[in-house]
Amino acid sequence: MLFRRGLFAIGLGFLLLVGVVWGRPEQVQSVTILMPAPYADATASLVNRFNADNRGRIHLNVSRGPLETESISDLAISSLLLGSPPFDALLVDVTWLPKYVAAGWLEPLDPWFDTADEQGLVEGARLGNRVNGALYRWPLGADVGLLYWRTDLMADPPRTPDELTAVVGKLQQEGQAPQGFVWQARQYEGLSCDFVEMIQAFGGSWLNPVSGEPSLDSPAARQTATWMKGLISDGISPRAVTNYAESESLQAFKAGDAALMRNWPYAWAELQGDDSAVKGRIGVTTMVALPGQTPAATLGSWGLSMLRDTPHPSATAEAIRYLTSQDAQRERFLNQGYTPTAKALFQDPELVERSAVLPQLEQALDQAVPRPMSPLYAQMSDLLQRMLSAILTEDLDPDEGMAQAQASTLTLFRSAGGTA
Amino acid sequence: MNLLLLLPALLMIGLVFVWPMIRYGWLSFHANSVLTGLNPVPNGGANWIRLLDDQRFWQDALQTTRFAGVSVGLELLLALAIALLLDQRWRGRGVVRALALLPWALPTTMMALGWRWIFNTPYGPLERLNEFVGLGPLNLLSTPMWTWLVTVVADVWKTTPFIALLLLAGLQTIPKDLYSAFRLEGGRPIQALRCITLPLLMPYVLIALLFRGAQAFGVFDLIQVLTGGGPAGSTESVALYAYLNAMRFLDFGYSATAMLAGFLLLTSAMLILAMLLRLSGLMKPVQP
Repeated sequence: MLFRRGLFAIGLGFLLLVGVVWGRPEQVQSVTILMPAPYADATASLVNRFNADNRGRIHLNVSRGPLETESISDLAISSLLLGSPPFDALLVDVTWLPKYVAAGWLEPLDPWFDTADEQGLVEGARLGNRVNGALYRWPLGADVGLLYWRTDLMADPPRTPDELTAVVGKLQQEGQAPQGFVWQARQYEGLSCDFVEMIQAFGGSWLNPVSGEPSLDSPAARQTATWMKGLISDGISPRAVTNYAESESLQAFKAGDAALMRNWPYAWAELQGDDSAVKGRIGVTTMVALPGQTPAATLGSWGLSMLRDTPHPSATAEAIRYLTSQDAQRERFLNQGYTPTAKALFQDPELVERSAVLPQLEQALDQAVPRPMSPLYAQMSDLLQRMLSAILTEDLDPDEGMAQAQASTLTLFRSAGGTA
Repeated sequence: MNLLLLLPALLMIGLVFVWPMIRYGWLSFHANSVLTGLNPVPNGGANWIRLLDDQRFWQDALQTTRFAGVSVGLELLLALAIALLLDQRWRGRGVVRALALLPWALPTTMMALGWRWIFNTPYGPLERLNEFVGLGPLNLLSTPMWTWLVTVVADVWKTTPFIALLLLAGLQTIPKDLYSAFRLEGGRPIQALRCITLPLLMPYVLIALLFRGAQAFGVFDLIQVLTGGGPAGSTESVALYAYLNAMRFLDFGYSATAMLAGFLLLTSAMLILAMLLRLSGLMKPVQP
């Protein structure tokens, strides 16, 4: 008797369940995007609006990931390696993209974004989104390396390496700006970013643009390393710069101790704060370059990528489009200061009024250069940082150091199964 | 029949140790990275050639050895003192025995996070204390010279109880009448320690050394949480490097090579240590 009653209950429950699932006209598509916490917070109000607009259709959910770039990469990769990750899209750093694509984790965005969309982006924001011709990432903000200069100490910023050392040397002799030119020479990713700008100044590049092979022992690369070492040994940059990341450089520049600083766009707002000794006396340009060479601005920036396994690709694309729309960019710029990616916004009077540096930023973005778009970028960068750090802090000869960096990079390519 | 009884144990070891090792060895002769679409492709000995030339690996190997050597050495000394103390009869010994085990019972990640906050500049209690005394900030977690010592301190704090427990068990196996006889012959307590306790305890010391040495050489969670291998790679361990190669660089072939090389280094170090100990005759009880 009891058994039969139980059976009846189970049957009834099953019928109910079928009815509920069957009877629903359209299921809400749930889209989850993983972002580092600050980005997640900066998009919170946009997410709410998106969900209100799409009630009953799409529910967007942004997961707050760890703050540190490395931790969030570990989290994303662990879930991807294990299969069926709980995310539909990720916010990825520009240097991760080739690796993720090579691992087969990402879905091209080409069906949802066309050339007209790309034409609307500022030059520098168009880079670093395509791998092997397919679009895998849509930028959330734009970010490039800049050269900050003091308008009260010089009439124009230096444009060549020689001009740079001359103007800084003169200022130091006059007892102004004792820290001279501050940049990022600590052994970490920032050193690679600075190197990408400096090597182009001398007409070289990290990877040969034609063959894709490393060219760290080229004459230009050796000249770059020699110049970098010279900056420190000649006192144009303080010895302490070999332990500087962005924040240390900013500190020195903000205190009025330096004449020039290599940094990212975020520094502008910091330098205009009331606690800044150089408020209102700052200009922005790009890194110096030899006459005849195009100055480079290393491309930074995060963008949204869709995961291959997502069950709702169109809903995810819709969410990506919404979060990167012009309105969204405007809001993020006005509220959090994230540089927009839409060309039109750089001329927008309301935005320019908020930050007078926008036109110069657009110029710098035109000269954006991505770091090598290689799946092995993380290791390549690690090898280069070690060698550069040894050249800058120890007695390692720049030529010898760069030859070693070249050899190690080739070994790495071979052992990882690359062709180069 | 004998073999049959051993079978479950052999099977277990085969599954969790021998098989992974063979697999590591096989993988170390293959490229298995994003460049190969995460599929294994034979690459001769390219991984091993790269390892020989890889400054980062050798620096890590050196750092890991230094970390393991210093922390296990300190732990042994401290644990011996604690074990001797806990072996004596005194009021409240039971409570203290339980308390002494507490650090070991804590999950490493929690405890590493705790230490990270203690050493945090400028908010940690240590820096606050420092400020109160009037010294400048110590920046212990951002000075390569000192950070590795912080990891040693954290490790010693956590695992000394484990060794102490092992040694305490060893102490209790030493027959008490040996000491009575020694006293009757006119030996002093300090002599008893040298002539009876230490020699008879030696097998336990060796076990502790083996366990902890291997464990400290494979240190991962403590470093990952406390320093992440920084600053400037000065606390990175071999296991952490292998993890980075697999999880961050997606280079599984090279990760396997690094892990296997670490294992080979550790095994040879242990063998040399064992040989030295045998030669020195520390294993045999000394005649008073």
